[in-house]
Amino acid sequence: MTAAPRLRSRAERHANARFRLGRLNRLALGLALLGPALSLGGCGGPDPAQQAVNLSQGVPIGAVLALSGNANVYGQDQNTGLRLALAELNGQGGINGKPLALKIEDSGSDEPGANAAFSLQINRGVLALIGPTLSQQAFSADPIAQRRGVPVVAPSNTATGIPEIGPFISRVSAQSSVIAPLSIARALELHPQIRRAAVFYAQDDAYSTAETTIFQKALTDKGLKPVTVQRTQLNDQDFQTQITAALQQKPDLVVLSLQAVDGGNMIRQLRELGYKGAIVVGNGMNTPNIYPICQKYCEGILIAQAYSPELQSPANATFLRRYRASQGGAIPPQLTAQAWTALQVVAEALQRLDRRQPLQQSSVAQARKALMAEILSGTYQTPLGEIGFTPSGEVIQKDFFVAQVRMAADGKSGRFALLP
Amino acid sequence: MDAGLLEQMLIGALLALSVYLPLRCGQLSLATPGFFAIGGTVAALLSTRIPIFAGTGATSPLPALLLEMTLAGLLAGLLALAIGGTVLRLRGIYLAIATIALVEILRVITLNLSFTGGALGIFGIPQPFTTTAGYAGFTLVLLALVCWLCARLEQLRLGRAMAAIRDDELAAACVGIDTAQVKLQAFVLSALLAGLTGALAAHFLNSWNAKVGSFDASITTLAFVVFGGSRTWLGPVIGGLVLSALPELLRPVGDLRLIVFGLVILLGPVLFPQGLITPQGLQGLGHRLLGYGQQLRGYGHKLLVRVNGPRRP
Repeated sequence: MTAAPRLRSRAERHANARFRLGRLNRLALGLALLGPALSLGGCGGPDPAQQAVNLSQGVPIGAVLALSGNANVYGQDQNTGLRLALAELNGQGGINGKPLALKIEDSGSDEPGANAAFSLQINRGVLALIGPTLSQQAFSADPIAQRRGVPVVAPSNTATGIPEIGPFISRVSAQSSVIAPLSIARALELHPQIRRAAVFYAQDDAYSTAETTIFQKALTDKGLKPVTVQRTQLNDQDFQTQITAALQQKPDLVVLSLQAVDGGNMIRQLRELGYKGAIVVGNGMNTPNIYPICQKYCEGILIAQAYSPELQSPANATFLRRYRASQGGAIPPQLTAQAWTALQVVAEALQRLDRRQPLQQSSVAQARKALMAEILSGTYQTPLGEIGFTPSGEVIQKDFFVAQVRMAADGKSGRFALLP
Repeated sequence: MDAGLLEQMLIGALLALSVYLPLRCGQLSLATPGFFAIGGTVAALLSTRIPIFAGTGATSPLPALLLEMTLAGLLAGLLALAIGGTVLRLRGIYLAIATIALVEILRVITLNLSFTGGALGIFGIPQPFTTTAGYAGFTLVLLALVCWLCARLEQLRLGRAMAAIRDDELAAACVGIDTAQVKLQAFVLSALLAGLTGALAAHFLNSWNAKVGSFDASITTLAFVVFGGSRTWLGPVIGGLVLSALPELLRPVGDLRLIVFGLVILLGPVLFPQGLITPQGLQGLGHRLLGYGQQLRGYGHKLLVRVNGPRRP
């Protein structure tokens, strides 16, 4: 009876001494050993891409959108487009009788969020990815999909160089170098007396800096070298300094490459400070979410668009019907139409692929590779008009539009009216 | 768990340790994201412009990564050494504001230099590892090494001097500690760590731009340390790991996930004002675990007795 307590207390003394000496060092050592163990463990499992496509829940497709953070105004528009397209496509029988199973994940508005969401979706075994919302996120997340051989259809990346990330990357959103000059040309047609252009952009935003270069080149090509170029920050609210500086140059055209929130505030403050001339804005303000911000001051701004609600085509009619039914008769924005288009492209390519080579007979990796080739080879009748792809994945789109914002009398709601 | 998420957690833990080092001697420095951004920019530039570092353009050699990390750490450390003497004369909240200004200056410079790619940044950074598991393994070894050094630091003269300054700077100076020197050393170590972590993160993230070194990032990294605890190295490590992973682990909660994440950050300091990990807490836990160990041993002994019969004299 006496042996046991003695043994215990001796062991305890011994252990206590050891514990005091090196408890933290040993913890660090433990961490060090865990590293190689984990990485080995990661390599040991079967590669999910070599397994057969899991069709038990439907045909797996993933989307990664900025539903939170400062880009969420875009992500929400895209979310609506994807959900409507999903309902429409599955209503028509999905992929040759199998429903599409679309999983939408939030990427936040930053790169690590997009990377994490991409990896999550790819590990789930999706056959294609739609997203991410921002070009900056695409430069970070697309290489992950490229390395793992997963087709990406970007619904809203407009920066130069996105399809060039790799053969698995494509987009349905025309790049700004194609669209942006159209609105400048149109503004000059409407107001031939324009001589002095002022340019504004957010210098800490990838989209703004990329687009303003294109705008400035377009202006210079028309013989209108900007009289002033003003820089702002993405999260700025107050632009009085820049506006005052710009107005001293007496501009008769203002060109904005800003996102929805800062751009809306900029327009409001420009008008409040007495600017009367024409305003051309870029793709960042291509959303009805600017109406509540600049309200009656939005009136008359010019914007080039890759989508017009007034396009007459069966595909656009279907999209408009679905959108109006779900949003109480509102007019759909470009981002929603592009998101719809992205899912439609993936679905139609899947239908063709499945008819030629049934999905359940291929592994995930084979299906992804074949799907990418199928996406690029097709032409699609979409709400954006007829579109196709270049071999590198750049969209080929026929119809572009220049619209002018027309606000309702109450100054709360408005629409992008297509210019004839 | 996905290796990509693990890698983000480990980078979070390394950054948390970088904030922890100056905090160990009572210096609230928020400059970590600035040095992190410098490190990443160095690695991004080297591996996209210099052929030896770039490898094939898609994959780059591992020694190149190690060299980049060394250079990035050295550059960040040198900058810290150059400005530390002046900046560290400030105390408390004034030091915090000065370091925020440093982060902001570095960000605006990055935005306006042509070779850093402006707002778009540098992209197409080659990969030293073919899988994210490779990154995670490498970073885990790095983290363990840094943890071990931090644990050693707590025993060393420098570490004890740092703790003395944190507890009472005047008293520490009175017993002959060169407080300015010790604070500078902590600041430089912190910059070095942030710089080399940045070099690794640039490869992992594929692209690098001015947004990584922002005021938001300063606050996030500070939250790691406040949440985890700043008394021992394990606190920031746990804080960095948990807070980096939480937004991802909370995905099943759906739209509420950021609200839940905010609540966790809010409730952490309310319920654990010293942070989750404190030396006292650790000691208590250690004793409790030992207690369980003894109990298990007792059960084992009884079992042996039952199986083998009582030991013969």
